[in-house]
Amino acid sequence: MLNRIWTLARKDLTQFARDRALALFIIFGPMLELVLVAQATSAGIAHLPTAVLDQDRTTESRALVTALRNTETFEMTSPPETADDIADAMDRDAIMVGIVIPDGFGADLTDPNTPQPQVQILVDGSEPAAADTAIRTAQALVASYGAAAVASSTVAGAEAFPQVMDARLRVRFNEELKESNYTVPSEMGFMLAAITVMVAALGIARERELGTLEQLTVTPLRSTELVIGKAIPAIVISYVVFLMMLGVSLVVFHVPMRGSWPLLLAVAAFYLFVELGWGIMASAVSATQLQALLLVFVFIMVEIVFSGYAFPVENMPPALQVVSNLFPIKHWLIIFRSILLKGAGPSVFWRELVALAILGVGVMGAAVLVLRRNRLG
Amino acid sequence: MKLKQTTAVLRKEWWHITRDRRTALLVTLSPVLFLVVMAYSFSVEIKRVDIAVVDLDGSSASRDLVGKLEGSGDLHVCCRTDSYQEAEEWLVDGSAKAILVFPPDFSRNIAAARTPSLQVIVDGTDPSTANHAIDHIMSRAEAFGIEAAASTAGRDAPDEAALPIDLRVRTLYNPSLRYVIGVVPAMIAVVLAMPALAASLAITREKEWGTLETLICTPIGRVDLFTGKLIPYVVSGLISVVLCAIVAIAWFRVPFRGSFPLYMGLSALYLYAALSLALVISVLVSSQQAAMLVSLLVFLFPGFFLSGILIPLSAMGELRYEALIFPTSHYVLINRGLFLKGVGIDVLWPWAVVLVLFGTAMLALSMVLFKKRLK
Repeated sequence: MLNRIWTLARKDLTQFARDRALALFIIFGPMLELVLVAQATSAGIAHLPTAVLDQDRTTESRALVTALRNTETFEMTSPPETADDIADAMDRDAIMVGIVIPDGFGADLTDPNTPQPQVQILVDGSEPAAADTAIRTAQALVASYGAAAVASSTVAGAEAFPQVMDARLRVRFNEELKESNYTVPSEMGFMLAAITVMVAALGIARERELGTLEQLTVTPLRSTELVIGKAIPAIVISYVVFLMMLGVSLVVFHVPMRGSWPLLLAVAAFYLFVELGWGIMASAVSATQLQALLLVFVFIMVEIVFSGYAFPVENMPPALQVVSNLFPIKHWLIIFRSILLKGAGPSVFWRELVALAILGVGVMGAAVLVLRRNRLG
Repeated sequence: MKLKQTTAVLRKEWWHITRDRRTALLVTLSPVLFLVVMAYSFSVEIKRVDIAVVDLDGSSASRDLVGKLEGSGDLHVCCRTDSYQEAEEWLVDGSAKAILVFPPDFSRNIAAARTPSLQVIVDGTDPSTANHAIDHIMSRAEAFGIEAAASTAGRDAPDEAALPIDLRVRTLYNPSLRYVIGVVPAMIAVVLAMPALAASLAITREKEWGTLETLICTPIGRVDLFTGKLIPYVVSGLISVVLCAIVAIAWFRVPFRGSFPLYMGLSALYLYAALSLALVISVLVSSQQAAMLVSLLVFLFPGFFLSGILIPLSAMGELRYEALIFPTSHYVLINRGLFLKGVGIDVLWPWAVVLVLFGTAMLALSMVLFKKRLK
């Protein structure tokens, strides 16, 4: 049995190594892509192009603009002439935020007898995440700027804002709240999933399309052995890709590694095993490589959804939360982040580890059954 | 280019898409299905963060503040304990994202008109969740402190609205700032990578099956071959565009403020650009396996992360120029422009020109590369 599996695995690895361009591409492609994507997303939402229409032109208004710029959320573009220019530039996607400081702002701010001055902020709602950040940053900054301005201009004002609550904040695991410490492991997770599932999915679909699967049925190779033989090359390749991407994450993006290395390398095998299972499943149910490709594409997109990249899975509708458990990436990212950032051990993530093990056995078993049923299909 | 030859290739390729129901469904319907799943999971409006409370004070004041935190709906107190160690364990295993510690003298300080103190420990693993928790806990604690100080001193709490500056926020195009409205038009651009993936196999399949040699012997020219290969995928892509637009407008109630014929025209240009790129891949690689891997790295990840869906292009710094290489980035801008901004060709023409140039350059490149391969 071992001999038969080894023969198949060796054949696939030889095939892989013979296509040198493909081999290089599989190994270096995902790594380079990780660098590109992580670089683009590492800063989070910042430097939104902002047009400021300062009709006041006083020390106070200029100080407000400087304070807004210092948040790094806003990046000032050339100032517009009129309020209409702001809407026009937003239509053309030239700016995402417009700020209007009306005439009399500085005077109203320093004089307690006039009504509070107004500042208007216009945001582009077609990009909700960016709009949300812009609004929250502006609100917080304008409130604190206003408080400071009033306090410095009047003695009474200073008394109006004593310290009322001494809340001491401590952030753990990602002390500087670095966006990339969260996004890089996610991005690495699904790029790895894509490569693993793809390599695994194509193995059997290709044999079927080229008609060589039929030849395999007349050999003593059984369905289980076929699956294992196809899985070995895929796991070797994906493990190499995993190590290279991990290297990039730690060295280029300075993601901390606080846990145990042997533990990380061992649990990664669990994750890759489940992803492989899904890949083999996709190829078992597809008649052609085209179908396998489309299925894999759908699978990867759903994995991106359940990676919690844009929105945490805990906040999704309950039905989606249940479904998310079928996708290994959800469990893996919890484990991966726990080891990297929290330095945690299996006592923390044993549930996820068990889930991965059950999924792996279940999916692989199902793939073998499907193959046995329609091997010639 | 001869019409008869082009039609022959076209018919054959169309047959490849439609002969098998599974493939046909995967190519045309899966973008729509995917749009639905994506839109639902990416449009979570309420974010509730689980926090643990370590109440060493156990007074009505501390309970009052916890009640206020929970009442807002932004935070959810998942667990209470008297043991700081236990709370730390919850933070490590992820069952709580933040810990709020009330020291034993919390209520005594309030009663004595001293500044009460609080400790907030936050799990920074996910910075956006952490910031959400920090913002809400800090602002509520501050408001609570003002109120408590005022009532101890026997005064009314100052009016919260009396901020020194009145900031008026106006959100254009999506006034209620619903995520689904912003996400769905952009997501259409990503799910339409599906026909491009299928097209990347168009020439490779002939190579792998050995039918390319037969094709070379026929009077079908290069131009006929590529046009014939391209059109069926553009057509199936346009069917998906219509289905996606219907789902977006009817189901997700995304407004459509532009012109629909213009939308179809620009979508055709996008498909032309994306599919021509797919044909280059198809000519370059020698196996379907390689074609899939390359198209995954070219269409899926850049489409998702570099197209400005989650992080605006303008926030990417120098990398935004790289991002603009991918046709998806332009199509995201076109979709947002037509669905939400209601702009016309006078604003969108630069993207249209880029897509035409890109598509033509790629189609020409694939033909040039193909010629070399024939020898």
